[in-house]
This record gives sequence, C-alpha cells and structure tokens, in this order.
Amino acid sequence: MTAPDPITLGVMWGALQSIAVEIGTTIHRTAYSAQAREGQDFSVAIFDKAGRMTAQGPYSPGHMGAMNFAVLNMLEAFPADTLAPGDVMLLNDPALGSGHLPDFFVTQPAFSGHDLIGFAVNIVHHTDVGGSRPGSQAVEGVFDYHQEGLFIPPTKIVDAGTPNEAVIELIAANSRTPENIRGDLGAQRNALRVGELRLQDLVARHGIDVYESCLEVILDQTEATMRSAIEAIPDGRYEFTDHLDDYGPGTDPLVISVAITVAGSSISLDFDGSSLQTESGLNAYLNYTKSYSFAAIKCLTDPYGPMNGGALRPIEITAPEGSFLNPRRPAGGGPRAIICYRVFEAILGAMAQAVPERVAAASSHFSNPTWGGHDPASGRNFVAYELVLSGTGARATLDGCEAMASAFNASNIPVEAQEAVQPVIVERFELIPDSGGPGRQRGGCGIRRDMRILGENVKFTNLSERQKFAPFGLFGGESGALGRTVINPGEATERTVGSKASLDLEYGDVVSFQLAGGGGYGDPAEREPEAVLEDVRLGLVGVEEARSRYLVAIAPDLTVDVDATRRLRTA
Amino acid sequence: MIRVGFDVGGTFTDFVLEDSAGRWHTGKRLTTYPDPSDACLEGLRELLAGADVGFDEVELAVHGTTLGSNIVIERQGEGAALATTAGFRDVLQIGREKRYQVYDLQITKPAPLIDRSHIWEIDERVLADGSIRDPLDEDAARDTIREIAERGVTSLAVCFLHSYLNPAHERRFAELVSAEAPEVVVSLSSDVSPQFREYERTSTTVVNAYLITAVRAYLHNMVDRLGGLGYRGRLFIMQSGGGVATAESMADLPVRMIESGPAAGALIAAKFGELSGDADLVAFDMGGTTAKLSLVNDGEPSTVGQFELHRVRLASGSGIPMNVRSIDLVEIGAGGGSIARATRGTIQVGPDSAGSVPGPACYARGGTDPTVTDANLVLGYVSPDRFAGGSMQLDTEAARGAIEAGVAGPLGLTCEEAAWGVHRIVNLNMELATRVVSIERGNDPRGLALVATGGSGPAHACRLAMALGMRAVLIPAAAGVASAVGLLSADVKFDASRSFVARLDTLSPERLGTIYDEMEDEAAKVVGESAEGQPVRIVREVDLRYVGQGFELTVELPGGPVTAAVLEDARTRFDEVYAKRYGFASPDEPVEATTWKVTAYGDSPPLDLRAFHTVAGEASALGSRPAYFPEADGYVDTPIYDRYGLAAGRVIEGPAIIEERESTTVIPPGLAARIEAHGTARVEMTS
Repeated sequence: MTAPDPITLGVMWGALQSIAVEIGTTIHRTAYSAQAREGQDFSVAIFDKAGRMTAQGPYSPGHMGAMNFAVLNMLEAFPADTLAPGDVMLLNDPALGSGHLPDFFVTQPAFSGHDLIGFAVNIVHHTDVGGSRPGSQAVEGVFDYHQEGLFIPPTKIVDAGTPNEAVIELIAANSRTPENIRGDLGAQRNALRVGELRLQDLVARHGIDVYESCLEVILDQTEATMRSAIEAIPDGRYEFTDHLDDYGPGTDPLVISVAITVAGSSISLDFDGSSLQTESGLNAYLNYTKSYSFAAIKCLTDPYGPMNGGALRPIEITAPEGSFLNPRRPAGGGPRAIICYRVFEAILGAMAQAVPERVAAASSHFSNPTWGGHDPASGRNFVAYELVLSGTGARATLDGCEAMASAFNASNIPVEAQEAVQPVIVERFELIPDSGGPGRQRGGCGIRRDMRILGENVKFTNLSERQKFAPFGLFGGESGALGRTVINPGEATERTVGSKASLDLEYGDVVSFQLAGGGGYGDPAEREPEAVLEDVRLGLVGVEEARSRYLVAIAPDLTVDVDATRRLRTA
Repeated sequence: MIRVGFDVGGTFTDFVLEDSAGRWHTGKRLTTYPDPSDACLEGLRELLAGADVGFDEVELAVHGTTLGSNIVIERQGEGAALATTAGFRDVLQIGREKRYQVYDLQITKPAPLIDRSHIWEIDERVLADGSIRDPLDEDAARDTIREIAERGVTSLAVCFLHSYLNPAHERRFAELVSAEAPEVVVSLSSDVSPQFREYERTSTTVVNAYLITAVRAYLHNMVDRLGGLGYRGRLFIMQSGGGVATAESMADLPVRMIESGPAAGALIAAKFGELSGDADLVAFDMGGTTAKLSLVNDGEPSTVGQFELHRVRLASGSGIPMNVRSIDLVEIGAGGGSIARATRGTIQVGPDSAGSVPGPACYARGGTDPTVTDANLVLGYVSPDRFAGGSMQLDTEAARGAIEAGVAGPLGLTCEEAAWGVHRIVNLNMELATRVVSIERGNDPRGLALVATGGSGPAHACRLAMALGMRAVLIPAAAGVASAVGLLSADVKFDASRSFVARLDTLSPERLGTIYDEMEDEAAKVVGESAEGQPVRIVREVDLRYVGQGFELTVELPGGPVTAAVLEDARTRFDEVYAKRYGFASPDEPVEATTWKVTAYGDSPPLDLRAFHTVAGEASALGSRPAYFPEADGYVDTPIYDRYGLAAGRVIEGPAIIEERESTTVIPPGLAARIEAHGTARVEMTS
C-alpha cells in the first residue's frame, strides 16, 4: 500500500466529514420524536471495515466515544464475513452500547462490489422503551436494567434489505410511544442508507486502495496531532474530586474522583476513589464514562482536529469495576445522562492546574425529566421528554455563555413545538438573575423553565443536579447558585422536590426547573466595573449583588460610582 | 426598454444599462462608506452620460444591496425593542443552545440584536390550538407602550407565542401602539414570519425591526435623489429570494432584502444557462473572499425558507436565523484572498481571507500569508501585468516566497507542487459545497452544467467541473458584473404564507380554498402595483411532513379550485420527493401540511443577453506564458487570448488562458472552449 499524496488525502478527509454531516442531517430532518428532531439527541459516524471510527458528525459526544466500542461489539456478534449489503443491526444493551436502553445503536455495512468498505453508524435516544416509568429513565426503585425497559442484544432488524417486521413490531409494542419508535427507527435507517450510498460513491471515485491507504494516514495523522498537543501539557498528576447530589431522595451524595497523569504524549485518567455502583438507575457503564472523558481531553488538546479512532489512541481511561462509573451487569443505567457533565467537569477541574487558560469552570448543569400519563383532551396516553439546558462556566478570559449546552451537546425543545405535541403549557422560560458564579469572568446564569402539565395520572421522573453541590468556580471565582425543582411555585401547594424525585402529579401542576448558575473564574473583585455595570443594566446582576459580591458601587443613574467602588475594593 | 441595474457589494458597486437600441453598457466603482448611495448615484450619472441617456428616459431601475446584512453584522441598528409574551423575555438570548463547535470550550455566543434592557413582557397568552387562555391586558399594555416610547424606541418587534395560529393579540397590540405611540414603527411576527418555533420567528421579526428605520431612510433618500436627477419610474429592490419588489413594499419588510446581492448572481446564471440550452446547473460565483454556490433546477434557482446570517467560522447554528425565503446558496470562505497553510500533513485553504488589506502576498502590500491568488500567479494562470484590468502589478517572487514558507517547505513539496496543491484544495472546498447544493438536494452533478461568474470563478471552473464529472462549464460574457445584470433579469415577485397545521386526509378543501384566496389577494395586490397592470402569475406550494415529524418538504399545488383530488395528488408527490431525498418513503403513514404558501409574479420584459456580444473578426493570441498543468507534467507555454477579441463560433483548445477585464478563464489541456452566439464561452467536459 503506497502513501497517498497530500492532496488526495485532503480530498478524502473532507469527503468523509461531509458524509458524516449528511447522515446527521437526515436523522434531524426525518425523525419523529421531539428529542431527536428538536433536541438533536442523537449521534452519527462512519467507521472502516475493521471497526475504527473515521469521521463523526457534530452531535452529542456522549454517544461518540461509546460508538467505538459498540461497533466492535456488534462485529463480535455478527462477524464481518457474514454481513450482506442491506443488513441493519441494532442493539441497546447498556454495557455494549452507550449505557442505557433508550439509546438505539444501529449500523449498516457498506460494500463496494463484494468488498466491505466500512460502516455507517448512528445512535438515537428513543422516547420510551418501557420499564417502570414513562421515559425509561427511572432513578428510584431500580436494582437492575431489566426494570428499565426492553433489552435488545445485537439483532439484525433488516436482513439484506428486508426489514424484520416482527422484531420491529415487538420493539414498538414494548414502548409507551410505538409511533415514535417506528418513526425514529425509520429515520435511523434513512440515515444509514444515505451513509452507505455516499461511502460507495467515495470508493468508486478513488478506488479501494487509495481509500484504505488514506484511512490509515488519517488515523495516524490525527493520533500524531493529538500526541503533540498532549506533549505541550506539563507532565504531572492532576487530581480533582466533586460530588453529585444523590441517587434518589434520602440517599448519600456520590463521590466523583479523577486522577489524570500526563506523561509525554500519553494521558491516562483513573476514576479510582469514586463511589460504588448504586442500587438505582444512576450508573454510567464504562463506555459512557469513557465517552465524556474522551470529549473533555479532546476539548483541552485539539478541539478543531478530527474526532476519529486515531484521536483516542493516546488516551487511557480506567474506573474501578463495581464503581458507579464502571458498574457490573445488570446495574441500572437509565438516567445516566445526568452523570456526563460531572465526568467532563471533574476532568476540567483537574486539568485547570495544568492548562488554566484552556479550561472552564463548572457549568449550570441541565435537567432531563421525563413523564407520562393520560391526556384527557386527546383521550390518549402520552410520554414527554424535556431538556432544560443552561449557562456554561467562566473561562480565563471570557464569561460563561448564557444558555449554551455544555458537554452534552443538544438543543432545547421550542415552546411552540413542545406545546403542539404534548399536554403541557410552558409558563416561563428565562434566565435567573444573580445565579451566575461571580468572578473576574462571570459564570453563565441558570435558566428557569416552568411547565404546567395537563395530564391525569402523571408519573413524573425528575432528573436534575447541582441542587446540593454548586457548580465550582476556578482560581478565586465563586460557585454558581444552587439549582432547585419546585412544584407549583407561588401557590399554596408550593413544595421543593429532590433532583432525582419520582412523583405523581395532579392535573395542572406546574413543575419549575430552576437550574444552577455556572461557576466564575478569577477573583470577582478584579472584574471590570464596566462589565459589572453592563450585567446590572441587563438585569442579570442586582445592584446589591454588584456591591456585595463584586465590590462595585452602582449609582442610581446606572453608572459606576468610581470613588465608592475604589473604597469598596481597597477596604 | 431603457433600464439600469446597480448592485452594491462589499468592495465594488456594479452597474449595467440597457439602452433603447438594446445595447449594454457596464460600469464598476468602489463602494462608498458610510453612504453607499453616493457611489450608486455617481456611477449611474457616469454610466448614463457615457451612453448618452437621460435619467428621465430610464424606464426601470433595479437595485441590489448588502445594506441589510451590513447593518446586522456591524450592529448599526438603533432604537429597536421587542415586546413578547410574559415569561418569555429571554427567548432571543436563549436561542436553541446547541454548541456550534462541539469541542471548543472558548466559543462565545453572538450578542442578540436587542438586549434584555429593551425587551418588555406583555400579559397575554394564546395556546397551541390558537385558543386564548389569557386575554391581552390592554391597560397594562398601554402603560408599557408609553414606557417603551419614553425610552426612545423607534421600532418595535412584537412576537407573542402561537401568533402564527392566532394573530389577534399581536394585531390588537399594534393598534394600541398606534394609539399611544404613533411614531413607533411596529413589526408583527404574524406578518413578518407566521411560522412556529418561537426563537426563529422572534429572530426574524427582530431583524426586521432592527433594519426598518435605516432601510426606510436609505430607500427614501435613494428614491428622492433619483427623482432629483430626473428618474420618473419606481425603484425596485432585489429580495433574498430572487424576485424584485418596489422600494415601498421593502420598506415594511426589509428582512426580505437582507441577502439581496447574492440572489442576483444565481438568477443571472440561470438566464445564461437558458441561453445555452442548460436548464439544470450549478451557479458558481467566486470573488475575493467567498465562493457562493447554488442550484438551478429546470431554469429556476432553488430557494430555502430559512437561513442564518453571520455565522462564526461558517458553523451551522452560530448565526442569526431568519425565516426568509432566500436563494439556497452555500457560501464558503474560498476566494482569491483565502489563506493557505500546512496542517496535519496536508494543505488547508481558508476559511479566513487576507482581504484587500494586507491582501495576498503578491499584492506586495505587506501580506505574507500565501493565498489562492498567489498560487494562481505561481501557476501562471493569472497575469502579473493585467490583473484587475491592469490596475495592479502583482509580485510573482513574493507569491513564490509565501508559498515556499507557508506550504511547500513544511510539507516537503516543490513550490509548483504546493501551488498546485493550494489550487486543488480550494477547488475541493468548493467541490464539497457544490455537493451540498447538488447531491444533498438529490441532484446528480453529472447531469448539471457549471456557470462561473465573479472575479475568480472562471479560473477554477473547469477543474471544479472535472472533479464532479459535470457536463459542461459556461463562462458568460461580462462575468464580473453578472450580479448587476441579474437584477434586470428578475421577475417582480411577492410571497405570502399561512401556518395552518392539518392532516391532508381530513382537511376541508373549502377552508383551504378560502385561505388561498386571501393570500393570493394579498400577494397579487403588491405585485399588481409594481407591475402596473401586467399579467400576474400565481404559484401555490405547501410544506408537508409525515405526522409526527418536525421538518417539511415543499410540494407545488395546481391553481384553480382546491379539491380532494388535488390534496391526494400532493400526498403522492410528497412520497416521491421524500424517497428521492431520504431513501425510504412511508406511503401508509398519514401526512400533514404545516405552511401554505403562494408566490405572485409579475412578468418583467425579457432581457436580451445576446446583445452582450458584438465582436466580429478573428483576433489571434495576445502572446503566451508558462502555465502549470499536471497533465503536461509541469509548465507548458500557454497561449493567452483576449476575451473581447473572440467572435462567436471560435474554438480555443486547451491549454489556454482567456483574459478579460474582470476575470481570467483557464482551459486545461484536453478541453476546448467554444464561443457561443451570445458570447458565453462553453467548455464541454468529455470524460
């Protein structure tokens, strides 16, 4: 095999990337469920025939790292030499895939003549796959994944172009939302087909030898770039510990602990010291832990470089077997998404010591509640999924972003889209003033979203975080404000519920998601007074808050009182 | 008919005039800042004088401008505010929240056009079925309106939830504004963009409100000054979607003219394609900073219902979204000034540009980064002496030095190999963009022609077409002012739409008939005024999806009475379009409609593009210079021709270079250009 010339290499590289983007666009435009078509809670990639990722689309990183393992696991069940054109394989085994049953991992081989040339791959989070609670993300009362819904081992759902309708119907029948399952599986299949056709085109244009030699170089070049970026980080061991609120009402906090060793061009992460696996849904199978670990390291090293199998080679990730970051089967994993920010942020916290200019303080976190019940208006049962995203943590020279996804990269669901398909009225959707962690650079504000649920017999599963342990600041920056979940705010029946609570709701109850603020960066007393004034002018920081936390005096005419500020800051 | 077109671009303003004998006159001058109308008026005066035409003889003036996008990108709007449903003050700031770069922790979010201090919440609430839960609190609204006016607001966007279904509250609120603060101009989301998804609708309405004051002032001024010079006709403005409408109608909907310039380029490519007998083509317009690619299908440029302005590094989701019909173009950072560098063992070109200051290394104005123009100079494609009509001398040694240092050295290539690599990689970038507008839209490039315009387009067109296996390349005469010509080729056109979500199989055809009648009256009124009695053509369309999906595909409906058979036929065609685009249709799944649309056209007098070409005789080559062609294993002595000396029927065999004032055409070995009767150089791609 001869080395490709630099130009052909560039052509191949660009083409692979555009194929991955096109696979993603197809899912986005053809999916049925709100979380896929509005929230973009899915991921796409293409792999070579050996099961190495060659390109990925710009979606949720959580699925990305997991895909590497899922493809290999699928190939173990269905060896490459047994595959035919038009085969589609599906799995949702949490340990083989991305850690929870709602994530359907599908793959389809692409052939050029008789030669296998690679795989199109995607993962979509489905609305409901059965289990004890609507949305299949129960926290409480779960001691194994069999309670969380339908378990699908590697299964061929399309055999040489012929769909196995019986299996698909069986899967749909095990869901509370069979239409969404069928529709989203259709979108997944559309996307695989598009990927297969584009890969075939690519190989037809360049020939299989050029294609394969380019793949080797692409993976090697990506690895080399990653290694040189790691080499630029000072060698050493960097540690960080943080806590999750709990794993259900009345339970203890979960410890998340990471030690990162940078040695030359390699980096290893060990989550030793993290809590034991829980008797709840709150466990992250190792693939999932690895996904967000890869994502964090990628952010700190080569953010604009390609994400493929080569980028992962210099990174080693371990977590003690039996910990909640590497549980043994058949631990539950439904609500594991809530863990992803914390894996990601523990790594940023540790690496702040090594690369302070590249990290960010902790973000606001997000809420990912699910609920279901009966809609008296339509006479039908429903399952709803919500994604409340919030602000990000401050950076060395930049404030945190307002309203921006962090590690878990998804979109919010438009109010008008959510209300059109679910029995719900969104009462407010706004930034929470004075919630962003003070700092020389301020953390992003928390976001509040109040939802009035017009269902009967509603089983509601909260999935929130940062209600007991605030998002940390860095280098003198303060934590963001704590988040909370409130039922019927401002009414006689107002009550606060836990971040992982399971509730029965009355028709018309309002659930108010009030998310934490992102952490600050640097000493708040060093923040430019004009920046504080701007926050006050925008209503994001109060005048009293400006004085007490930033030591900036704002005059009644909305100007900085320079003398008073100097006195405050030199006192 | 005597008519003029003038198109303001970032660097140049282009002019064309068709005189009473059907002859064309062209002009170009630097765009003026802060007031681009200075250059427009000066240029028109010069052009008309040269053609011996008085302003009072001109029957039609059409204007294209980047004014709208400039105001947004440079945040120059003033006095705009937003009123929104109580509880939703931050919709604009929150946006859709997805990270536009997954792994970059240092990204920032573009600031909203209207900040929190200028957003007011109004007590009212309409639900998703259009019913009113909380009536508009009129007393509170009046108080708020007075407060808004006291704060110096001159333009107010109003976007209430679900107003696309039930605009009653927005309309009543507008009445209250005209009663309490008549000086405040109102933009209602139910008028500007009656579509669901509150962020995108709010964003569209806010852009409209943000532009309206400045655009009105600009258009009034332009109309006044043209009138002062003796022009007695109406001023027409190019819209983003490719039609023109009167300045008066754009004064209410300025958001529709935000991408005025690029639209004209796509239109004229379609017209030149038609002259050459090519109805399916890719319009390719490559200038100094960007390349714009768009698809022309069956003679019509394809359009989209939403686009984003001012993206960060071109990333999807980083710009300001607008629900505005616009030419479906992909704009990428690939132009003559795009910077090349060695990364990851290969060459990267763009998306950043050296611009005009310092410019490419060969401009010798202090630029040291190698650019596409430097590469083209090293390859011998561009003349060092006759660049931009000979107005600039290019420094070949500086170009070589920059390519050596930035690309060749780090990659272990010779300077020529590196320059060729830069040329190929920028072509690759454009190739990927071309795939987006062709293959991703379900169109095989092998059946398409490529129409190249812009200063740099003709130098890259043949290679681009070769890479995609396209059928032919067309390089029109006067490619450099093609956009201005495009202004005159546009139809008078106006869109109207309604959001009305309903399943096709349960929809009442009668109700739909009523909706269409209303919309057609509305659009025909605007077009009728503009076209002054000329025939009005109406096209109906509907956006369809399977029940449960969130995105639609557009299907055309026939005119005449709406019947059940019409709807059934639309459903069948939807399945076909869907299968073509996404692989598999679901003929058993129910289909619903979301947005019903009409476009009214007033046909403009036809444009005779043939008159562009008036050369007779047989000019020989101007001379020759070495140019690099890999087919020849390096440099070969290549003949240079003057485009203005090539008569119809002339065939130029490659390798050859054809120069004209605004651009240079490169014909690689093995290909040949034939000059067609109307002056277009046509290259058949034989594979």
